[in-house]
Amino acid sequence: MEKLVESCVKKSCLILFALLVNAAMFGASLAAAVPDEIESRTLDNGLKIIVWPDHDIPNVVMYNFVRAGGRNEYPGITGLSHFFEHMMFNGTSRHAPGEFDRIMEAAGGSNNAYTSSDVTVYQDWFPRAALDVVFGLEADRLQNLAIDPDVVESERGVVYSERRTSVDNNNMRKLLEQVQATAFVAHPYQFPVIGWPSDIEAWTQDDLATYFRTYYAPNNCTMVFTGDITPDEVFALADEYFAPIPAQEPPGRVRTVEPEQAGERRILIETNAQTPLLHLAFHAGSANDPETLPMSLLLNILVGGDSSRLHRLLVEEEQLAISVGGYQDEGFDPGLAYFYLALPPGGNPAVVERRVLDELQRIADDGVTEAELDKARNIILAGFWRGLATINGKASALGNFEVFNGGYEKLFRLPDDIENVTADEMQEVAAKIFRPGNMTVGVLRSPAVGARENSDD
Amino acid sequence: MIKRFLGPASAVLFVAAFFAPVAAAADDVKLPDYERVELDNGTILLLNEKHDVPLIGLRAVLRGGAVADERGKSGLASTLAALLEKGAGNRDAAAFAEAIDSVGGHLSAGAGLEAINLSGNFMSRDADLMVELLADMLRRPALDADEMKKLRDRTINFIRAAKDSNLNALLPIYGSAFLFGDHPYGSPVMGSETTLAKITHSDLLRYYADHVGGDRLIIAVSGDFDAGYMLKKLTRAFGGWRKAKSPLSVVTAAEPQTGRRVLLIDKPGATQTYFWIANVGVAADYANRAALDLANTVFGGRFTSMLNTELRIKSGLTYGARSSLSRPLQPGSVAVTSFTRTEATVEAIDMALGVLSQLRDNGISEDMISSAQNYILGQFPTRLETSSQLAAQLAVLEAYGLGASYIDDYGVAILETDSAAIAAVIDDVYPSSQNLVFVLLGDASLIRESISKYGPVTEMKITEPHFRPAAPD
Repeated sequence: MEKLVESCVKKSCLILFALLVNAAMFGASLAAAVPDEIESRTLDNGLKIIVWPDHDIPNVVMYNFVRAGGRNEYPGITGLSHFFEHMMFNGTSRHAPGEFDRIMEAAGGSNNAYTSSDVTVYQDWFPRAALDVVFGLEADRLQNLAIDPDVVESERGVVYSERRTSVDNNNMRKLLEQVQATAFVAHPYQFPVIGWPSDIEAWTQDDLATYFRTYYAPNNCTMVFTGDITPDEVFALADEYFAPIPAQEPPGRVRTVEPEQAGERRILIETNAQTPLLHLAFHAGSANDPETLPMSLLLNILVGGDSSRLHRLLVEEEQLAISVGGYQDEGFDPGLAYFYLALPPGGNPAVVERRVLDELQRIADDGVTEAELDKARNIILAGFWRGLATINGKASALGNFEVFNGGYEKLFRLPDDIENVTADEMQEVAAKIFRPGNMTVGVLRSPAVGARENSDD
Repeated sequence: MIKRFLGPASAVLFVAAFFAPVAAAADDVKLPDYERVELDNGTILLLNEKHDVPLIGLRAVLRGGAVADERGKSGLASTLAALLEKGAGNRDAAAFAEAIDSVGGHLSAGAGLEAINLSGNFMSRDADLMVELLADMLRRPALDADEMKKLRDRTINFIRAAKDSNLNALLPIYGSAFLFGDHPYGSPVMGSETTLAKITHSDLLRYYADHVGGDRLIIAVSGDFDAGYMLKKLTRAFGGWRKAKSPLSVVTAAEPQTGRRVLLIDKPGATQTYFWIANVGVAADYANRAALDLANTVFGGRFTSMLNTELRIKSGLTYGARSSLSRPLQPGSVAVTSFTRTEATVEAIDMALGVLSQLRDNGISEDMISSAQNYILGQFPTRLETSSQLAAQLAVLEAYGLGASYIDDYGVAILETDSAAIAAVIDDVYPSSQNLVFVLLGDASLIRESISKYGPVTEMKITEPHFRPAAPD
C-alpha cells in the first residue's frame, strides 16, 4: 500500500532517480568507460541518434526525447505539451486515428509516452522484426501529423478523465499541484503538466498547430535505440526515414528565471481526507547543477528506504507519519527538492513539520556520517546496475543523460562523480537549501479535523 | 502524465493479481537451464546462473498465504509477511533495514492469496549477506509484539490514505469481497480496518507455527553467482528447518454469480465513477491458456483492445478501460474495469456491457487473432529479461506445478491457436451480461437512481471500515 501513497507525478522520485542514474558502471571498479559498442550520429537536420546494441533478447527499445514540456507553456495553454503527447497517437495524413497503435501492436510492438515539465518522451518496445514498421510510424507522425478537430474533442475527454483520476480524486497529487504552483511565482514550472481544467477545456486548433510546428522538429528531438540492432542498420534506416524531415527554426528559449524566494510560503487545501498530508518543497538546482548530486545523496539518507533518517524517526519511532518520501526535480532549470508525508488520521501537520525541519537543520549543523554516505552511494550504485539489466533501462538512462546532463557519455562518469562527493559538500548543500526562507509548505486536511487541530495547538 | 492507464506490458493481460504465472514464450523463447534440488524437509531450491550484470535476483515462495487467514482476521498472512522484515536473527528492525539499505539491496515480503512471497535483489558481492538475511527472516524472525502493533496500525492508516488518493487500487478489493462473499477469495489479502484491528500477537505466532516451514518453501535464485556455492549456502541455511504444523489450506471452487447484483460505494464529492464488473472465471491450470490469453488481449488486454477502443479511443469517456483475469489455484475473477466522469456513468457501463456482448456474440476476427499472436509473442521476451524476473518465474512455475513447458511450449501454442479454440474459450470464460456483479464507487447521490437498472443495489459508504456491506470481512 505504501506505493499507493508515494506515487510520484512527473519527475524522478528517488527510486526513479536511482534507476535512471543506473546505466553507468562497468566493473565494480570505478574506472567507468563509455562502452565501445555505443555509437551516435547527428543527421543534417539536427536529429541526434544514439544506439546501444545488446543482443540478449530479440527485442528493441526506442526512446524519442522531444524538448517540449510544461516549461514551454503559458497561461491559456497549460497542459498542451501533455495533450500533444496524446495527439501524436491520433492520426496523420497517411494513417487514420488509431492506426498507429493498431499497426504497431499487430507487428508485435507496444508503446507509451510521458510528459514532464521539461520534455515529452515517446517509447516503443518491439521485436526486432518490427524495426522497419516502427521507423515508418515514427517518421510519419513527425512529418504528417493531422490534428483532426473531432479527435481533439474526444481526446479532451480522455485527458480530463486522466486529470480526474490522477489529480482531482487523488489528494496527494492535488496537494502537489498546489505546492508547485505556490513555490514558483514566475517560472513556468508552476504549471501542472496535466494542465489547469479551464485550459484543457479551451485550447484551440491554432494552439495545437503552432505547438507542433515549433517543437516537433528533428532538431528538437533526440532518439535512442537499444537492443537487438546494429548502429549501421539504425543509421541506414534513419537516413531513409528521418533525414528527409526538414529542420525548423529552433524554439525560443525559456527566458523567465524564478526570482529568489525570500521567506516561507504556505498553502492549505481543505477537502475530505481521512489522512492529512504534509508537503515541503525547497528551491534547489537543475539537472546539471553541481549541487544536484550531493542533494540526491542527501535525499537517499533522509528518505531512501526503511533505514533512512526521516522514515526511522517519523514512521517507526514516533509514528507521527504513515509514510514519507522525497525527490528532486532534475530538469533544464532549477527545480525543487521535495518531501511528502502522509499522517495518521488526526495527525497534526504543524508538529510533523517541526520535526522534519529539526532533522533538516541537524544535517545542516552536523552533516552526515561516512557510513550514511557509503550507504547512499551503494543505493545509487545498485540502482545503476538494475537499470543496466534491461534494454529499456539503458535507453532511458542514455537519453536522460544526453538531454539533461550534456551528453550520454557523462552517464559513465557518474560512479566517479558519486565517489567524489564529500560529506562536507553535502552539509554545505543542506545548509544552503534546507532553509525556512526557501521553503513552501503544503497541508491538506479535512475542514473538521483542521478546526480541532487548531484548538489543540 | 503518461499516455495510458494500461502499462506497456500490462501484467493483468497475462493472469492473476497475486501469484501470477507469467504467460509465456515466443517460439524461440525458452526457460534457461536451471538446477532444481529438493532438500530432506521438502524445501525446493531453483538455481540459475546469469552473468550479464553483477546482480542476484531472489524469489522465495511460502505456500499458504491469505487463504489460511482465520475467519474474521483477514490480513493475518499479510501482517506476518511485513513483520518478517521488522527484525530477525540478531538484528532488530532498525538494524535489519540498515543491513539491506547499506549495501543498496532490496529484500521484502508480502502476502498473496495463496502464498507469502519474498523478493530480493542484491549486488553479487553481497550474496552471503542476502542468504543470511533471508534465512533470518524466515527461520528466526523477531515477530516483536510492538513492531506488530505499529505495522498493523499503519496498514489500517494506509487503507484510509488509499481511500483519499487511490481508488483504482481499492476497487478490485471491494469487487472480490462482493463477488466471492464468504469464500476465502472474498477476503481482502491486506485485511480491512476492522479485521486488522482484531489481529493479536498470538494469532500471528500461531500462523507462523502452522503455516510457515521448510515444506512450504520454494527458493529461486537467478543471477551472477556460482551455483555450486549458492546451493551449499542455501542447503546449510534451510536444510534443517522444521515443517509447518498444519496441512495446506484447501480451497474449493466458488459458485459463479447467476443473475445480477450491484454494490454502490458512496464517496461524496467524487467527480468520477469507478466500476468493476465481474463474475467467477478460471483457475491457474486452465487448459486453454493460449486461447484465453489471445482472447483477453483482444478484448481488454492492450491499448487497442475492444474495450479501450470503444470507451477511450472512440468516445473519450475514460482514460482507460480493460479486462483482467485473476487466476489463482481455484477459479478467480474475470472483470471489466474502467472509470468515467460522474454524469457519464450509465453511458460508459452500457458501452462496456455492449462490448462484452459483442465479444460473446461475434467473437474475434482472424485479423485480430493474428495481431494478438504477434503482440503476445513480440512482448514476451521482455518478461524474462532480468534475473529477478527469471527467479520469480521459476518459483511460480514450481508453486503451481506447471513445469518448463508452460514457457517453452507457449509460443507454439499461441501460434497454433485457431478461431474455433478462441470461440470456445470466450463461451467458457466470459460471462453473459445477464450474470454479473457490478461494483461502483462514486458519488451515490448523483448516480443512485440511474444505476438501479443494473440490478438490486446494496449501498455502503467508503468510510466504513471494511470492504463488504454490513458483514465484517
